[in-house]
Amino acid sequence: MAPDDPTADDSADSADRTTATGAAPATDATTTATRRTLLRRTGAISGALALAGCLGFGGGGDDNGEEDGKESDGETTDAGGDYGGRQPTVTVEDPPNAVFLPTHREAMRVEEPVTAGEFRFVPMLSYPHPFWTIAGSDDAAVERETPEVGRGVHMMITVQDRETGLVVPVDDGIQFRVRSDGERVGSPVSPWAMLSQEMGFHFGDNVGLPGDGTYEVEVTIPPLSVRRTGALAGRGEERVTGTFEFEYDDEFRHQVIDGIDYLERNRRGERGALEPMGAGADGGDGSGESDGDGNAGHASEMDHAHVPYATVPAVDAYAGTRLVGGASAGGAPSAGADGEATAADELPRSDDAPIVAVLFEADADESDLARLAGDENRAQNPAQYLLVSPRTPYNRVPLPDAALTASTERDGELVAEYELEQTLDSEYGHHYGVVVSGTGSDTSDSESSSAIRSGDSVIVSVDSPPQVARHQGYETAFLEMEAVTFEVPDGAEGGDTEN
Amino acid sequence: MTLPDRSALSRRAYVRALVAVGGGAALSACLDVTRDGDDTDPVPSGTDDPDSLPARQHAWNEFSSRDEDGNVQLPAHHALVPVSLASGAGDADADTEAGAAAESDSATAPSEDARRTTETALRTLERAYEWSPEGLVFTLGYTPAYFDRFEGSLPDSVDLPAPEALTAREDPAFDEFDALLHLASDRPDVVLAAEEGLFGDRDELNGTDLETDLTGVFDRHDDRRRTGFVGAGLPASKTDVPGVPESVPEDAPFLMGFRSGFARTQASEDRVTIDAGPFAGGTTQHVSSMDIQLDVWFGQDNHHQRVSKLFSPTHAADELVGEVGDELADTSGVTDDGIASAEAAAREHGVVGHAQKAAQAREDGNPPLLRRDFSTVDGDRPGQHFLALQRGIGEFVRVREAMTGADLDVSSANNGILHYLFVNRRGNYLLPPRSLRALPPAAPNS
Repeated sequence: MAPDDPTADDSADSADRTTATGAAPATDATTTATRRTLLRRTGAISGALALAGCLGFGGGGDDNGEEDGKESDGETTDAGGDYGGRQPTVTVEDPPNAVFLPTHREAMRVEEPVTAGEFRFVPMLSYPHPFWTIAGSDDAAVERETPEVGRGVHMMITVQDRETGLVVPVDDGIQFRVRSDGERVGSPVSPWAMLSQEMGFHFGDNVGLPGDGTYEVEVTIPPLSVRRTGALAGRGEERVTGTFEFEYDDEFRHQVIDGIDYLERNRRGERGALEPMGAGADGGDGSGESDGDGNAGHASEMDHAHVPYATVPAVDAYAGTRLVGGASAGGAPSAGADGEATAADELPRSDDAPIVAVLFEADADESDLARLAGDENRAQNPAQYLLVSPRTPYNRVPLPDAALTASTERDGELVAEYELEQTLDSEYGHHYGVVVSGTGSDTSDSESSSAIRSGDSVIVSVDSPPQVARHQGYETAFLEMEAVTFEVPDGAEGGDTEN
Repeated sequence: MTLPDRSALSRRAYVRALVAVGGGAALSACLDVTRDGDDTDPVPSGTDDPDSLPARQHAWNEFSSRDEDGNVQLPAHHALVPVSLASGAGDADADTEAGAAAESDSATAPSEDARRTTETALRTLERAYEWSPEGLVFTLGYTPAYFDRFEGSLPDSVDLPAPEALTAREDPAFDEFDALLHLASDRPDVVLAAEEGLFGDRDELNGTDLETDLTGVFDRHDDRRRTGFVGAGLPASKTDVPGVPESVPEDAPFLMGFRSGFARTQASEDRVTIDAGPFAGGTTQHVSSMDIQLDVWFGQDNHHQRVSKLFSPTHAADELVGEVGDELADTSGVTDDGIASAEAAAREHGVVGHAQKAAQAREDGNPPLLRRDFSTVDGDRPGQHFLALQRGIGEFVRVREAMTGADLDVSSANNGILHYLFVNRRGNYLLPPRSLRALPPAAPNS
């Protein structure tokens, strides 16, 4: 059964990627424009990471004098572990304060999808590897996890709603419980919500294992607490579980180590991103720049490795009036790498995250508005809904678990301020949104109306950045996120706007 | 039960392991090793005058020492011994309707003999050991399941519902046996000996002859037995256990690496005492047992992140805590107005501190819970037995809801310490006043 053979999948994948590499993942033309700023900020961040790295678990050397008499049992001091020290440990020196190409593409074993109630999840396994955890927004709130034990796996799942196909991109407390021959192995694990260039949004953690063997993992998915609209409303209300098994042995380790694909040295740390897993199979132009591809696929695309990949819609796939990014501290609009401006290139950026802002209005976008505003707002006859979608550059992965506020200004005066609510919509996927105006007649001529209208400025500020752990290449971006300012264009029907 | 390997463990780790194993052989081994060590001081003996002891089983504080900041020091070693009424302990002569209708032992009310035996055995403990952490303190608490066997129901003044899951992510088992004996002492050998005295093969305890034991009254549930420890240095001595990283701070009193139970974040014993009805002078106890993914807590978060999640982001930014909470003196530092609300922290920082959330459940600034929880490596895994006293279980549930923070706009990983804890069991208990501690009926005055 070749299609289900993960080895076959992965080697096919690698071949595609090799092809794709020749065409080069997209790089970002804004690099030079803001180089000086980036270097200044990067310096501070790398310093903090280096320092924080010293606080890691086990500390490597047993140098706390008092514990000298009691050696650990070897598991934690065996630096090479089961992988013979072949896991990539290379880091990017002085990475830009932006999304950048990592040192390598990971290889992983993709297990069969598992059904768990209204969800389906795909387990993925790799070698234990570094990632960065986030708890806050300043330098000290970022910590690099460096796996101490070379024995075990990096265990990941991507969770998908079975009906809509939407990849669930928010952290509601998923749990892994590992067993071997019916015996529990270690503590339960709360995997981190993570962003990876290749896998998009997923849940994962390094999980130590006592040795080779067959392991069973029970995955618990608690009820979703995030606001859901459209076909997603009312789904994910139950706590569900699903189980998968995997073999941990030499064959596995060879597979995930031999499949590693290192980038050329001079390209590591360049602005850009690896293409999503399996993307090469769709034609492999390797652009990695999918914003301009016109694909309005709302939720996810199943690649040939049957791993769903969380994406938000391309900028021109939203109905409604797209707000126009003005010049702001968040980053200047610029042309794409090939010199041809696309709608995606016009998006204002905040710490390298493009931000889409769309206004849905009762007269033009009735069905979208009704769906997005949700049942809970139906009684107040919603007239406008403001949707804000920050995403990764290049791969359009949503940036969840941030706190965003939108304020509207008219003639320099503050009109209103809204805390945006994280929402999963069955059509537009992950975004932050708010019902702006409660009464349909409110949009008329009243000067004091809080309804958003042509000529208004909408300022989106990021109270706290996406609290999502990062794989290599994402750890310096989306952290110190400045506010971005949008202008509301003329005319109710937005569509594409040129500037 | 096999005893731990002495040669492979430090003395402290070995003693801890013996308490966890329990039983007569463990006690002998424990006595051997403690005799060799520093704990050669005699254990203070107790009193022949039961009336000299407090009316409340949970009156521990005035007999405990306090640290330099005035925080009560809990006994260092703990055992939670779950028991159910033995088949011989029922009231065979009962001619009440309930007695006649009840075919199963579990539905049979305890006999007066069983009651007398229980009281006698507990008084023996009090004669053998001083009522203090240097000697022994203990409570005997009863589950809602225990009271189900009686015809009457508990009075309204006792708020003791059956335990239930308190967050959407947990699926705990429940303590549905009859009672829980909590034994606590600074001396691990005392905890072991007291349990052996009540249930094992001993004729004397600390020089006091044993008149009777509880073997005819209660059956122990060995698979539910729990043990633990609290105090500076004890967690750091557990790094022989898988999942307990070397980086647990040397002075930390709990496995999670920080102090807790600050005087000003704890309810007083008065505050948690039932103040009306036949069980006045008693209290309720919630015990939840949980795993901690401690390697992640220490290995993947830095100190700043840990402080943010356990206390608040402001504590982390302003460095208010110190390495293990030593800078905080007698308070968690979460004030009514000084530190932004949990809701504001969620938005501004993307992180909410556990203490910050718990503070939301205070009443007029007063915390409703008296925590007597302790860390554990039962089953050779790091965990916590969260034991809290409160006037009614409803108060615990309210605090728990605040700590869950389901209404907060924050990711699960940054919602206090939820990401690190996995609740396996929950149990609710009534700790009757001392006068009713031996197999009380549901309605003592009727």
